[in-house]
Amino acid sequence: MSLVGVEMNDAIRVSSLKKVFESVRHAGWLRTVKTEIVSVSEVNFSVPAGQSVAFIGPNGAGKSTTIKMLTGILRPTSGSASVLGLVPWEQRSKLAYDVGAVFGQRSQLWYHLPPNDTFELLSRIYNLDRKEYKARRDMLVERFGIGSFIDTPVRKLSLGQRMKAEVAASLLHKPKLLFLDEPTIGLDVNARQQLRDLIRQWNREEGLTVFLTSHDAGDIEHVAERVIVINEGTIVLDDSVKNVRTDFLGTKVLTVDFHEAPHSVPIRGVVELLRDGYKLKLEVDTSVVSIEAVITQVLSWGAVADLTIEDPPLEKVIAHIYSQHKEPAIQGQGSEVAVT
Amino acid sequence: MNNLKKYWAVASISAKSNLAYVGEVGSRLVFLAIILYIFMRLWKVTYEHSGVQQLGGLTLPEMLWYLVLTESIIMSGPRVTQLVDEDVRTGALAVQLVRPLSYPLYRLFSTMGERSVRFVITFGAAASIALVLVGPAPNWHWHSLLFAITLPLAFILDFLGYFLVGLGAFWIEDTSGPMLIYSRLTMILGGMLLPLPLFPEWLQGPLHMLPFASVVYGPARMFVHPNQAECVQLLLNQFIWIAVFAVVVTAVYNIALRRISANGG
Repeated sequence: MSLVGVEMNDAIRVSSLKKVFESVRHAGWLRTVKTEIVSVSEVNFSVPAGQSVAFIGPNGAGKSTTIKMLTGILRPTSGSASVLGLVPWEQRSKLAYDVGAVFGQRSQLWYHLPPNDTFELLSRIYNLDRKEYKARRDMLVERFGIGSFIDTPVRKLSLGQRMKAEVAASLLHKPKLLFLDEPTIGLDVNARQQLRDLIRQWNREEGLTVFLTSHDAGDIEHVAERVIVINEGTIVLDDSVKNVRTDFLGTKVLTVDFHEAPHSVPIRGVVELLRDGYKLKLEVDTSVVSIEAVITQVLSWGAVADLTIEDPPLEKVIAHIYSQHKEPAIQGQGSEVAVT
Repeated sequence: MNNLKKYWAVASISAKSNLAYVGEVGSRLVFLAIILYIFMRLWKVTYEHSGVQQLGGLTLPEMLWYLVLTESIIMSGPRVTQLVDEDVRTGALAVQLVRPLSYPLYRLFSTMGERSVRFVITFGAAASIALVLVGPAPNWHWHSLLFAITLPLAFILDFLGYFLVGLGAFWIEDTSGPMLIYSRLTMILGGMLLPLPLFPEWLQGPLHMLPFASVVYGPARMFVHPNQAECVQLLLNQFIWIAVFAVVVTAVYNIALRRISANGG
């Protein structure tokens, strides 16, 4: 069943979605006071099929509530949503066949058994054809590089190995949409990057729609092409990752190592963040001065041993967005983001 | 058919997982051996001092074999309430709800898988101890297998009770209190240590009717004193209680689902 007006290529379409929780407080022996807490307030957005979206916000912003409504676990107070053409809270079981979910802090793998046993179980739960399942499993094992520990009990795996197996398990039934809730939490740098690459690769090559929540700026930058920022139940920003970075901070960090003490001169739009012997760290406002112009200047200050240009961390960008948008503001720009 | 396959797979993996973790069951066996030995000594003294051959219709060896059954039933019980409570409190329930599965059925089958392994191990060990202490079960014949029909139903009924208590996590801070009360009621009113015929006469009728007797006393009695008429009555009681509990669990679960909040960030 599809909602009126739902474009067929939208994996998710949310319209005026609202969730209000009632909290009951005892105020004396017999008297209770009911308070309404608006967790999600009239949220609107849509995600085209094949897009990867980062859905971010501070704790209590309404992320989890929104995801629970989109997976059909929660029924909204008002508004509508269509996920893969289905109304999630009315067709949860049907939707479950086309949706995968990875919760970073909650494992779906059986702790005392090898991942392969959980894969077998999932093949039964999703009623997969035996032949297709085996081919799919073998392909996932190869692509995720989990062959060496597929028969090792989960309790003996490292967190990085476990998370790879978790994501592979959630892709067994060929979901069209994957929800990832803090997938890289607790992973070391290497494992984190490997997992990001795999998710991004799957999104690009298999056309998997990815809906990701994370506190890790790297997850958002490497996995998502679009960011939706939610705060206090309202979407405060919906834009491409690239635009968020340039529009909301518009700075780059330039770190230069010299062979000798540099003879620097002030440049408009450049702030010196650190000077430590032969090392110089500069913040460049690219709306005032181009990075190329700054580099040309810097090269004239002395012999350069090393030079790196970095984007500002996304945490900083998000903090900036929160501080600028206390009131609900920029919304709906996400539809302009190109689908890869 | 497909549904049956998926829940059967849940029961199988749960059984397999428990086989992989037999150590936990093993530690309980030491406790079981001590209990059986103490009770054997206690009953021996009781029988000697009262000067009777039978107590509650059971001889001393039968009494010990009765204990083997009741202890195996109680000790093989998985932590249903705690698991449901954890699922609700930590938000892990969400992991189950995004799959094409019914959560209560998932828990039922995984409990049955786990319990079948735990029961076989516990019963095997307890029966070996009883064999050493008092020899084989005196009245044992093929009718004793009637207990094998009533046992799975006893486990289902037991599951429903603990699952219902676990659903309390949607309303109350901690379900360990009600769980403790429920488990003690099952042990005492179900006749774990004292067979129902040893209770005051006025209490025996009501106790037989309660669900606890259908979980503990009934199957154990079928093992030591198999009786077709009693078996039919027991099966009837079990079916009625399972139906009642299933209706209540379904209703409470549906109400509870509407109370899911944004647990776990």
